[in-house]
Amino acid sequence: MADTTADPTTTATPAIADPESARGAESVNGPRRPARTRLGRTGQVLGRAFATVWANPKARVGLVILGMFVLMAIFAPLLAPYSPHDDSFGRNEPGSAAHWLGTTGAGEDVLSQVIYGARVSLLVGFVAGGLSTVVAVVIGLSWGYLRGWGNDVVNFLVNLFLVMPGLPLMIIIAAYLQNGGLPMIILVVVITGWAWGARVLRSQTQSLRSRDFVTAAIFSGESSARVVFREILPNMTSMIAGSFFGAATSAVLAESGLSFLGLGDMATVSWGSMIFWAQNSMAILTGQWILLFAPGLCIALLATSMTLVNFGVDGLSNPRLREGTGR
Amino acid sequence: MSLLEIQDLSVVYEPRGAVPTHAVKNASLSLEQGEFVGLVGESGSGKSTLGFAVTRLAKAPARISGGRIVFDGTDIAHLDAEELRSQRRGGFAMVLQSGMNALNPVRSIANHFGDIFAAHGHVPKGRRRQRAIELLDKVQLPSTVLDRYPGELSGGMRQRVSIALALSLEPRLMVFDEPTTALDVLVQHAVMDTVRELQAAEGFTAVLISHDLGVVLESAERVVVMHDGEIVEDGASRQIFSAPAHPYTQMLLSHYADPRAEVVELPGFERKASAAERAGGNGEARPERAAAHDAIVVDHVSKVYPPPRRGEKAVTAVDDVSFRLEPGAAMALVGQSGSGKSTIAKMVTGVERPTSGTVTFGDLRVDRLRRRQLRTLHADVQMVFQDPYSALNPLHTVEYTLTRPVENFTGLKGEAARERVLQLLETVGLTPVEQYAAKLPHQLSGGQRQRVVIARALASDPQVLIADEPVSMLDVSLRAGVLSLLEDLRADLGVSLLYITHDLLSARVVTDQIMVLHHGKVVESGGTTQVLRFPEDAYTTQLLDAIPQPARRFAGGAAS
Repeated sequence: MADTTADPTTTATPAIADPESARGAESVNGPRRPARTRLGRTGQVLGRAFATVWANPKARVGLVILGMFVLMAIFAPLLAPYSPHDDSFGRNEPGSAAHWLGTTGAGEDVLSQVIYGARVSLLVGFVAGGLSTVVAVVIGLSWGYLRGWGNDVVNFLVNLFLVMPGLPLMIIIAAYLQNGGLPMIILVVVITGWAWGARVLRSQTQSLRSRDFVTAAIFSGESSARVVFREILPNMTSMIAGSFFGAATSAVLAESGLSFLGLGDMATVSWGSMIFWAQNSMAILTGQWILLFAPGLCIALLATSMTLVNFGVDGLSNPRLREGTGR
Repeated sequence: MSLLEIQDLSVVYEPRGAVPTHAVKNASLSLEQGEFVGLVGESGSGKSTLGFAVTRLAKAPARISGGRIVFDGTDIAHLDAEELRSQRRGGFAMVLQSGMNALNPVRSIANHFGDIFAAHGHVPKGRRRQRAIELLDKVQLPSTVLDRYPGELSGGMRQRVSIALALSLEPRLMVFDEPTTALDVLVQHAVMDTVRELQAAEGFTAVLISHDLGVVLESAERVVVMHDGEIVEDGASRQIFSAPAHPYTQMLLSHYADPRAEVVELPGFERKASAAERAGGNGEARPERAAAHDAIVVDHVSKVYPPPRRGEKAVTAVDDVSFRLEPGAAMALVGQSGSGKSTIAKMVTGVERPTSGTVTFGDLRVDRLRRRQLRTLHADVQMVFQDPYSALNPLHTVEYTLTRPVENFTGLKGEAARERVLQLLETVGLTPVEQYAAKLPHQLSGGQRQRVVIARALASDPQVLIADEPVSMLDVSLRAGVLSLLEDLRADLGVSLLYITHDLLSARVVTDQIMVLHHGKVVESGGTTQVLRFPEDAYTTQLLDAIPQPARRFAGGAAS
């Protein structure tokens, strides 16, 4: 049939039947088939996400450290040799077989306090980080999606929170809500911590909202809320995870800072309050540097581990950021 | 000896944690000095990968896994970075598809030339400006361009600048990777003319990579056809055109036709009489399924956008356009980019409001609809998007994507909704339906995605479909299938079709009426066959001439 084809318009039906159906058949039997149920699919997505994060060496170090702190917090009663509030020991004792890290000025075991302190730090970190991420997501997404006067109001509010210096604000609020305990600290951290996340998520929303699939969802008759939370939100998962770890890191630091300043609940044992009491009893002058060093190191390690995890989270959305793929 | 010898070259993509893809498999090819060779294939055929490998621009995860690339006696497949850099002068250069975006926006054009001259030191300082002007002259740009910034130049001008930059190292081999694909139709034509003249005048060897066999046949002396990473055919253009040997080449060629011809046929496409025509224009006799019963009336509509920057003039995108889309009719809106055709689509679907004039659909004043009322309009007027890759949410299954409009517009729930979704998939020809319903977009080919997009548009049983360049992103072999689907829908379901395109050939086969837009004004309108066969306006003729027609180059008389 090749010899008489001077005119392309009269060529006989080509031998290649239909590449589309050929490709279809191939992908129907392809190896990666999505799970049928929604639960199964969510599990698959989470598993793949974890594998991506784990593949990054920095993130792997972060995950290991973070995992150790989580285990330490969960199993604190089993791991700690004494109760953290037990002040029946000798005061300002140096490290010994009975008290590995010594005792405080009030006669409590330092090691036990460090182990129990992880509970408060992780609790505040995850709860305050989570809450401020939720606020950031709700405000950032609707701010990025909606237009009109409401947008300007939110813009003003967010800018207000951005320019206000965080630490002084925190101190003022904490002093005003004296003795509120942990919920108070979480509230203070959330109020001062959501604005950055909202700003970042808003700009991503703005770039996603002009994509065709968002317009298509509007043509499908979807309400604004559904467009934002079912179409746009899932496409920003990695960014949200990143902003969660960022917020959790600053929450851990803020909690320690507030406790160190004596603005937290001094009855609970946290790494920040340990440093506060050590400072009060002039631990450095008495040579008990470990009283400051141990909780300080824990704070630094926890914050570092979450920052390291974030390196891997970046790779979730942008394959180019995955390490080891060449230049 | 040949200028470039590619022997048994293989390139493999090895992304981490994924199966390696063999993009180029054992390709062998030799190019003589001064040849103009076209490299053709559809997306995924490995043509660009080969081009990048030849100029040693391939980046990880791509890796040359075997074979030799001998350029002028040296094997360049294994040169290190510095040797490669010095080789680039008097060696090989590449012009990219997105070449117009390859310029640094904060540096003037003169700076771009200066960088290259300084890096290779082959032009003395005092002569640099003069030399840059000479180079710009070769690509038909005035010397004033030198002091401008990339943002101040049009897409075509920037692509010309990047060609001039590639020329500045006096290459003996130039690889053009889809140099005109991202440009507007009319500009494409002009840039290709420049490339041809330049090659003839300078005598460098040129490799033109393109998905468009028509463009290649018009310019190249020799054509190399790639399919699935392999070179399937290699021969003189005339021979490829008149006697293609490989079935794949024959298939590619069969999708070219002249929209001006008396009868236009595409393989796999069959024109049907629409429901309205079958009924003889008598409304009562129309079949019950005939969806459309309301006309879209656009009356003296204009759209003026505020000036983009202070001190500039306001932009008139659409200027006093009137037309009537009868129920069940198919109308094409054609024109180059910026002619206002997409703006009209936005106004008809209520996304934008006209500055003046009225748009009505049945009793509905589209130009006065509030945001909440848009839903009423979208139950009847639906849109098929240009880019099937961005029109589907990558995280939702086909079933979810289709269930939403079904639930929103028809009120069906649960099992009934699912029934309807499967029925829609059947309508657009994605069978077995159960399997396609469970798929995510990345598991589908471009053509299949576009079918899902069309199925979604049909979910509300609309009266009117607005198709905005529905096939421009698809490979030629998939186009006919999507076009005939649109044709079937119109004939069987009786929906009206507003078809927006710059591709006159597809407009010819799916529509009855046509409107040619230029700078927001209608310059010509009427029956599609009439207008395309006997164009009256100079602009319509210009658009028709911009379509590559290999038949015109070869054989003179044999042209259809």
